Amino acid sequence: MSSSTTTTPAAVNGLATSPAFTFSASTFQKLHPTEFFRNFVSQGVRPDGRLLSSFRPTTVHYGVITTANGSAMVRIGGTTVVCGVKAEVAEPKLDSPDQGYLVPNVDLSPICSNTFRPGPPSEQAQVVSESINRVLKESKVLDLKDLCIEEGKAVWALWIDVVCVSYDGNIYDAALASVMAALKNVRIRKPTYEEGVVKVPGGEAADDENSFKLNLARTPLSTSFVLFDTSLTLLTDPNFAEESISQGQISVTIDEQGQLCAISKVGAASSSQTLLKQCVERARKRNEELRSIMNQ
Amino acid sequence: GSSVLCSVVGPAEVKIRDEKLDKATLDVVARPLVGLPGVKDKAREQAIRETLEPLVLSGLHPRTGIQIVVQTMKDDGCVLSTAFNATILALLDAGIPLKSILGSVTCIIDSKTNQILLDPTTEELALAKSTHVFVFDNKTSVSSTQQENDNMDQDNADSALGAVLFSDSTGLFTEEEYFECAQVCFKATQAVHGFIRTAVQKKLEKEYQQIQA
Repeated sequence: MSSSTTTTPAAVNGLATSPAFTFSASTFQKLHPTEFFRNFVSQGVRPDGRLLSSFRPTTVHYGVITTANGSAMVRIGGTTVVCGVKAEVAEPKLDSPDQGYLVPNVDLSPICSNTFRPGPPSEQAQVVSESINRVLKESKVLDLKDLCIEEGKAVWALWIDVVCVSYDGNIYDAALASVMAALKNVRIRKPTYEEGVVKVPGGEAADDENSFKLNLARTPLSTSFVLFDTSLTLLTDPNFAEESISQGQISVTIDEQGQLCAISKVGAASSSQTLLKQCVERARKRNEELRSIMNQ
Repeated sequence: GSSVLCSVVGPAEVKIRDEKLDKATLDVVARPLVGLPGVKDKAREQAIRETLEPLVLSGLHPRTGIQIVVQTMKDDGCVLSTAFNATILALLDAGIPLKSILGSVTCIIDSKTNQILLDPTTEELALAKSTHVFVFDNKTSVSSTQQENDNMDQDNADSALGAVLFSDSTGLFTEEEYFECAQVCFKATQAVHGFIRTAVQKKLEKEYQQIQA
């Protein structure tokens, strides 16, 4: 098994001293992905050229789905998600007759990556959906009483669907940002309630007269990291390759006032509180950048 | 209070598609109190599995599977913490080799009094401004001696406060509140570790007596 000389930079020392095999960089990456990454990380960079604390270019576009009440598309590097919000008149839940409800759902299907199989939602999709649901509910993003049409009879149910179109890691950040952007973009026509029938006017374009926007109390945005290797090296905004070789994930969700809305640390060995503080610091900086991108 | 029943079967045979060449495969199934398992249960499964992966010495049993089933028997808040504690006890009972044990505690910050309340009930959770679930292993408490802890000043106290194995916090809170909750939960987790130690001791004593008889 002879091959051309290595083209990887710097410390492939361990392999160069072994006389029997030399690999090309791509072969080495396939055979020993963790070792390949370690060589980069020890120099403080990652294979895609980023520093350990850099984020990939992020863009946000509003109103991408004209038939939805609100929509947004978010790209973080190679990960692209599209979020559409549909408002439907529904009966309120029994224990909250004057409140509407939000139903977020994240769809990770074979369209975005061949690692996902067709069929019921994978565990990853369900976990991301649940995380977004908890942020929306417990950080009180929206006063659900605003979605009431007629107490006990009719409320607005917002179906928030996030579809991943291209998957390259860090789905949670992209999905949450797209949900917040789509909610900001939502316009719902003002309904009328007469004798048990809800009428939602159609016809002319939705403007400030015949429709209303959602009054969002806050828009939490998240920053995710992975913990790579036994040294627990922190990698911000992991791409798919980095996610597959890392064990731990940390996410910090912050709103525009700087209040923390969620912190999550799963997997990998115990991480010190200094590390968590570092994550929160980086998340704050990232939050400001992301908000200025979203507000453009 | 909440009650969770946990069963562990393993190391046992595993389907070829789930087989790992060098490790045991952990499979966690979480079942709710009522109804069919939903998204929340999937999240619970992932939390337990990802937290236990670094603790279980899976390299000792390659190409096998360890199945953990967590069934909620009573739900009065803190089900995730109860599930974590039940799981580690079940793993000890099963004799699965572990690097360390874990202990889990939930706390909330009450919206009216701004106090930290440990082990909240469902009622208290409804009034919480933020909810925090923490899991700590017993390595940090073993490495730092008790005397050192007493003499620590504020700066050093930070690093001795306990490395976090799992953390899940939601609601609205500040950084200070979060780390204060971590500190309080770390101290409370020592009690959980003590309980686990006592439980295993009692079990071994009973077994010894049964063998003698």
